[in-house]
Amino acid sequence: MNIIESRHLTKRYAGFTAVSNVNLHIPKGTVYGFLGPNGAGKSTTMKMFLGLTKPTEGDFIIDGKKYPKDRIQILKEIGSFIEAPAFYGNLTGEENLDILRRILALPKSAVDDALELTGLTQWRKRLARKYSLGMKQRLGLAGALIGRPPILILDEPTNGLDPVGIHEIRSLIRSLPKKFDCTVLVSSHLLSEIELMADNIGILNRGRLLFEGTLDELKQGAAEKGYPTDNLEDTFLALIEEDNLRGGGVR
Amino acid sequence: MKLTLEYKKIKRTGIVPGCLAGGILAAAVPILELAVRSEQYTQLRQSPLRTIMQADWQMMSMLNMLLVITIACMMYHTEYADNAVGRMITLPLREEKIFFGKCFLLSGMCAVVLIIEMLSIIFCTLRWFGGEEGAYTAFYGASFASAYMKFVRDLAYNFGYCFCMLLPVVILSLLVASACKNMWVSLGIDVVCLFMATMIPVRYFALSVFPFALPFQILEEANAGRAVQYLTAAMIEIIIIGAAETVFLKVRRAAA
Repeated sequence: MNIIESRHLTKRYAGFTAVSNVNLHIPKGTVYGFLGPNGAGKSTTMKMFLGLTKPTEGDFIIDGKKYPKDRIQILKEIGSFIEAPAFYGNLTGEENLDILRRILALPKSAVDDALELTGLTQWRKRLARKYSLGMKQRLGLAGALIGRPPILILDEPTNGLDPVGIHEIRSLIRSLPKKFDCTVLVSSHLLSEIELMADNIGILNRGRLLFEGTLDELKQGAAEKGYPTDNLEDTFLALIEEDNLRGGGVR
Repeated sequence: MKLTLEYKKIKRTGIVPGCLAGGILAAAVPILELAVRSEQYTQLRQSPLRTIMQADWQMMSMLNMLLVITIACMMYHTEYADNAVGRMITLPLREEKIFFGKCFLLSGMCAVVLIIEMLSIIFCTLRWFGGEEGAYTAFYGASFASAYMKFVRDLAYNFGYCFCMLLPVVILSLLVASACKNMWVSLGIDVVCLFMATMIPVRYFALSVFPFALPFQILEEANAGRAVQYLTAAMIEIIIIGAAETVFLKVRRAAA
């Protein structure tokens, strides 16, 4: 069963198509890796799911709820982290999460839980503006995870983290469906990262969905088309390169 | 609930002590004025409240408005500085609620500032006009209890009126602050509006209802009919500006 489904989702700006006719199918209880080079339209698609930007064409359903009619209901089910960490610099990490907790009407223990999950407990009393980039990133993730929402939308969540942090967050994301019975949509421009986390992947380039399926299906399809399959990074690059050469219409 | 939330957001910004300091500064105006040239005012045979308000309210309301403008800009600066508003709009919360939460909080702060100023006026009245031959006794009567009740009632009416006149500034400053991500832009716009308001001739009613000109109005100078007109104008402005903010947020969301 798909928890997120989009139909012909398109976002056009003046003279520029950021997302073109995208049909996504994200199964419940899985980690879905959303892959594509910078500017491929990953963030725009995620923003549309969160109602931050309005689709020009097409629509989507999240957990049976339709945008824009059920926007608030949809947002109640989603924990999100989009682009860069967003926080109140004058508040501590704990106070930032407490603001979110109050809005989401969660119990007080939700803050401790989110801090614990992201390894921020020992810096909970530090002002968020004094956090390092990695800590800010963790705070953003804690904000997405607070209350353990059934759907998580994470846009490049490991940006700015050190290798240990990347490993920790990756393991955390990987474990979420099993631990909390949630579905994760995570974007990255690195296949090496996505392949360690995701059950299913969607590859986006120049606003168009080039592939959707499991990693095995990707390998199989690539082999049939004669792309390199020894290294998934090479497969991904070949796929993107071919699409770029094909032109694929004006964006 | 939303008010508590908005209050929590301004922690460590200096807004609360700044608000109290601003109130004390404005409250000091009539005290300093009367301390320096009390003879000029104590001779006047009219309500001491009217004397003080006519002499000092222009300066006090100007300080009040500068305070409101600054706080409004700072409130939205906390939202925009580290993109906290970016997180807020991904929550099941209408952006309009954030705006109106800030409106209520800022209005509450204005009430605190006006109470500080009221206390200063009580002090000035009793200190400089309260003698046996003073204007206070002449106007309110010799009976202490009855005079005091009348005086406090007049004071409450006057400051209630001043509070209502300040509300359009509160909501308009917050609208400007919510529209501009750069705090200095909104501060600049509001300050220009404020100084424009000081140049508006008060004899033209249509011009004097400009939101930043309204707080210069005092109840002591207006007859009952004119006071009601100003109160109606303030209420209409609050509704229009509130509706404008709602439309603005919808348009901004749609254009994103």
